[in-house]
Amino acid sequence: MRIRAALIAAGILTMLYAVVGGLADPGLERVGVLIFLVAVLAAHDAVWMPAVLAAGALLTRLVPRRHRPAVRVAAIVAASVTVVALPLVLGFGRSADNPSALPSAYGRNLVFVLLVIAAATLPAIGRGKIRRKKSERPHEGGDDPADR
Amino acid sequence: MVRHPDPPVKTRWWPAFPSELRSTPLTTYVGLALGVAFGVCFVTGLLSHLIQHPPAWFWWPARPVGLYRVTQGVHVATGLATVPLLGVKLWSVYPRLFTWPPLRSIGHAAERASVGVLVAAALFQVISGVLNISRWYAPMPFFFTTGHYWVAWLAVGALLVHIGVQLPAIRGALARRTAPRPDGLTRRGLLTGVAAAAGLITLTTVGQTVRPLSGIALLAPRRPAVGPQGLPVNKTADAAAVRSAALDPAYRMVVSGPGRQISLGLAALQALPQHTAQLPIACVEGWSATATWTGVRLRDLVALVGADPERATVTVESLQEAGRYRASTVPPEHVRDPLTLVALRLDGEPLHVDHGYPARLIAPNRPGVLQTKWIGRITVRGPR
Repeated sequence: MRIRAALIAAGILTMLYAVVGGLADPGLERVGVLIFLVAVLAAHDAVWMPAVLAAGALLTRLVPRRHRPAVRVAAIVAASVTVVALPLVLGFGRSADNPSALPSAYGRNLVFVLLVIAAATLPAIGRGKIRRKKSERPHEGGDDPADR
Repeated sequence: MVRHPDPPVKTRWWPAFPSELRSTPLTTYVGLALGVAFGVCFVTGLLSHLIQHPPAWFWWPARPVGLYRVTQGVHVATGLATVPLLGVKLWSVYPRLFTWPPLRSIGHAAERASVGVLVAAALFQVISGVLNISRWYAPMPFFFTTGHYWVAWLAVGALLVHIGVQLPAIRGALARRTAPRPDGLTRRGLLTGVAAAAGLITLTTVGQTVRPLSGIALLAPRRPAVGPQGLPVNKTADAAAVRSAALDPAYRMVVSGPGRQISLGLAALQALPQHTAQLPIACVEGWSATATWTGVRLRDLVALVGADPERATVTVESLQEAGRYRASTVPPEHVRDPLTLVALRLDGEPLHVDHGYPARLIAPNRPGVLQTKWIGRITVRGPR
């Protein structure tokens, strides 16, 4: 209990320091920071997460039950890599006077990485098939809840 | 004790969150990894901030030469690796957003508010960091460095509160074993996937600072060998509006000390004893590259104007008229170091104008933004 109280107190003090320090820093555009905080929260909770859940539901419909674990893992890896790569692929950070910034062909590279993920997933799907043949479980294509 | 996964959270108007993968142990494991990652990012980020804005009590050594390249490389690599961790963590607790009734008490309201702050601040840090290394500033209505710094304190504060509130749940989750599910994606499978995602992101980006991996740095914003003279550039001469002043044949570097002031043209600088050092440029954005620099030791210039090179502090100013990073302060630890150069040459050739021609600062163990280019003026002050 004492540890919990100490953690919570330290956390509140740290947040207070962030607010007071941020307000006192003339270099901080507070309105801009506040807008961005609210925007990323809203975009995640109202746009990104529903899209992820919809994608998971779609995956359940389209992918046979025995392949779902591998495909789900592949989808998580692919989505993560894409989030990191997307600003590079869009390339708004390029500038004509500085070819050393964002020097690679990121669209092509991202496609290549996604293909590598797909290729690494195929053996796992193959194993799923073999396992299934050996055990011959009866229920096929039922609604797998492990997605949404 | 063997238990089955937690029952889904009760929500009122959202249809259902049927995944049995969501559980307190899953949230705990991912949360622990995320907490460690945020801790690493906070410490390394705070260090970078202190080096750039040193308070009176702070001290940063000149050796080891590549320490900053490691701490900042770790900062950016760890931040990128948090993307799948944060994604799965938030997915695992998303149904709680729809808890009914939304507020049970003042304490419950405060806790939910602190979680809201934590989620917003965590997303802010990761997304703004990704945008910054991609040099895509337009979506951020604030100056990145300052915003990223203060929101880091907000995130860490909210994280401490969150750990304090959730400590019993964390302990409980670590102590118990849940029944393994025979089919579908298992918790172990999901955690393996998260680790694979973090690992793949690291493998395809960390080559921007770990040279042996540069060949597979497919998604890195920089390649350490790509740029003028085989070295990346952060700010070009044109972006700094300094090209004509830097290329002016009448260029003079003014060095002023407590007792006297001298003015040196490029030929006079070249006539001084020349030294060569292998030093990295280590950018705050997480890339780094080593190069061979040749020029005049800063301590020799300090001695030329009659100051003590063992104790002097130096301000180096660029020919730039304006700009946040047009000047930097070199503390005594770096001034006295024989590796700290006013470099005139890079790999044996005169500096490319984008690398700071006619003369730039290069010192060991220092962020790239403090390695002032296009030096116009050096002011030597006595001991602090």
